[in-house]
Amino acid sequence: MRKTGLYLLLLPGVLFLTLFMVIPIVMTIASTFYQDGSFTIQGYLQFLTDAYFLKIMLTTLQVSLVTTIACVLIGFPAAYYISKLGPRKKGILLALAIFPLLTSSVVRSFSWMIILGKKGLLNSSLLAIGLIDKPLEILYTPTAMMIGLIHLFLPLIIITLVGVMENIDPDLLKAAESLGASKLTAFWKVIVPLSVPGLIIGSILVFVGSLTAYTTPALLGGKQRVISTFLYQNAITLNDWHLASVIATIMIVITFVVIYFMNKLATKLNPKG
Amino acid sequence: MALLTLENVSVAYDNQYILQNFNLNIEKGQLISLLGPSGCGKTTTLRLIAGFLEAKDGRFMFEGKDYTRVPVNKRNFGFVFQSYALFPHLSVFDNVAFGLRLRKINETEVKTRVQHILEVVSLGGYEKRFPKELSGGQRQRVAIARALVIQPDLLLFDEPLSNLDANLRINMRVEIRRIQQELGITTVYVSHDQEECFSISDQVAIMNKGVIEQLDDPATIFKYPKTEFIARFIGFTNFIDFAERTEQNGEIGLRVGDHQFTASKNPGTASSSGKKCAMRPDDLLVTTEESAEPGMNRLRGTVKVSTFLGRSYQYVVETELGDFTVNQEMETPYKTGMNVNLLFPKDKVVLVD
Repeated sequence: MRKTGLYLLLLPGVLFLTLFMVIPIVMTIASTFYQDGSFTIQGYLQFLTDAYFLKIMLTTLQVSLVTTIACVLIGFPAAYYISKLGPRKKGILLALAIFPLLTSSVVRSFSWMIILGKKGLLNSSLLAIGLIDKPLEILYTPTAMMIGLIHLFLPLIIITLVGVMENIDPDLLKAAESLGASKLTAFWKVIVPLSVPGLIIGSILVFVGSLTAYTTPALLGGKQRVISTFLYQNAITLNDWHLASVIATIMIVITFVVIYFMNKLATKLNPKG
Repeated sequence: MALLTLENVSVAYDNQYILQNFNLNIEKGQLISLLGPSGCGKTTTLRLIAGFLEAKDGRFMFEGKDYTRVPVNKRNFGFVFQSYALFPHLSVFDNVAFGLRLRKINETEVKTRVQHILEVVSLGGYEKRFPKELSGGQRQRVAIARALVIQPDLLLFDEPLSNLDANLRINMRVEIRRIQQELGITTVYVSHDQEECFSISDQVAIMNKGVIEQLDDPATIFKYPKTEFIARFIGFTNFIDFAERTEQNGEIGLRVGDHQFTASKNPGTASSSGKKCAMRPDDLLVTTEESAEPGMNRLRGTVKVSTFLGRSYQYVVETELGDFTVNQEMETPYKTGMNVNLLFPKDKVVLVD
């Protein structure tokens, strides 16, 4: 009796999500199989056989993957350092890490345009000290997107990892050392495997975030399309809602596949995590 | 020669000394415990020996070699943590094998040695379990097995039983003692539990404010504490601060004001040159008889509190020299306010610093 009463607490959330998320998603997916009133998979065939579309998908996956790996490599040591600090310093550093999340991604992308452009801060500095003779082409390339996305998502992975690392008993490192492990080996055999849950969640957030990000690739990618900007172009500019829905469905599928394999990886790396 | 020596070691945090000019010698094959209230420096001493802490001054010698700057992972000491510190992502087998694999021992031998040590701690058959799936006592035994399997030159315990319930604690300490004696491994054991230390140790070092106040076998400490701190710690509640200590006719004369006491010479009066007399509540007697009894010092007083303890009565007797607590078995108790004589047996007097 009591339990059924408690379920009622879920009702507002469930109603909201059903109305504004589940139903629209189901409708979107369903609509991809119908065109002019009859069943079709034409949209998918068109997408999967067109070299241009496939190239966009490949670039998107590539950008997301590199962003994720870079975030892990940069974020992991930083998170470990922060997790070792006293509460005061930890608070300050975490606030600093989260700070980029507080500015709009439009503002941040414009800043990167100023930095990375042909006559931008980076190029003029490098030219001035004579490291290069002509400006580097960074802005409006996948590299620029990656830089913007890494900047965008680094806080996420740091926060997730700090949360996990804080809960690792510091005695475990001492135990490993007393058993003969150097500091580096102890880190590798204890901290890394025990951080796997945070690493997986963080990576999923970054990967899916990069996959679906719109503003950053739109502003920093120039003519270079990724799935999300391509979707927008089809829906708004070309008014091709059918193809846009197909792209949306493909994005959902990719997301689920990624989460599925990441979870598999997590169980493999840390069976009792 | 001692196996392990700490020579004039100092440890400080933020310019506050935890240990200063600290000295300790440990003989091979012994189990020595460091006992004391929290903040006395016992854990600091243990962590220093383990290598988790570095001495500010002084030397740490082990088997005649200077170990002061030898890093933790090169010391080959087994450490058992209060929190057990088992690796949660590894099975029992892999936890125990951790140290062996770091030593690049081939997998066949790893298997034999892990299996053997798990038998020693009575955990055969638990190899595939994970720490989460074990009880507290089992986890502790895995932790001990993990420390033992590397054949350490020294075994260190940091309050290993304080997370276990009372029954298990007694079983485990018997077990620890058995394993330690079976393998003949020199062990340093830290605890704040008196009974635990006294029951398993060859030697007990009682520490207070960064200093070892007494290092002796458990029975000697229990009967003949050297300082007031130790006396209080092990249950002496009655103290008289005498002004004068003299020797006469093979006995010790003690005086404060008009009160003259005598104490017989025994290890308890010889081990210290102090003038403070310590008595256990069980060693004092209360009587209403006025006749003098041989071998007793007497002191007049009034019963202030009388408490029934089941087997005995506990009295607090008020005297010119302060309040005294006495436990006495008797049929009909003395009432509050009664005038009584307190008797101090000469041979039960212990003198402390």
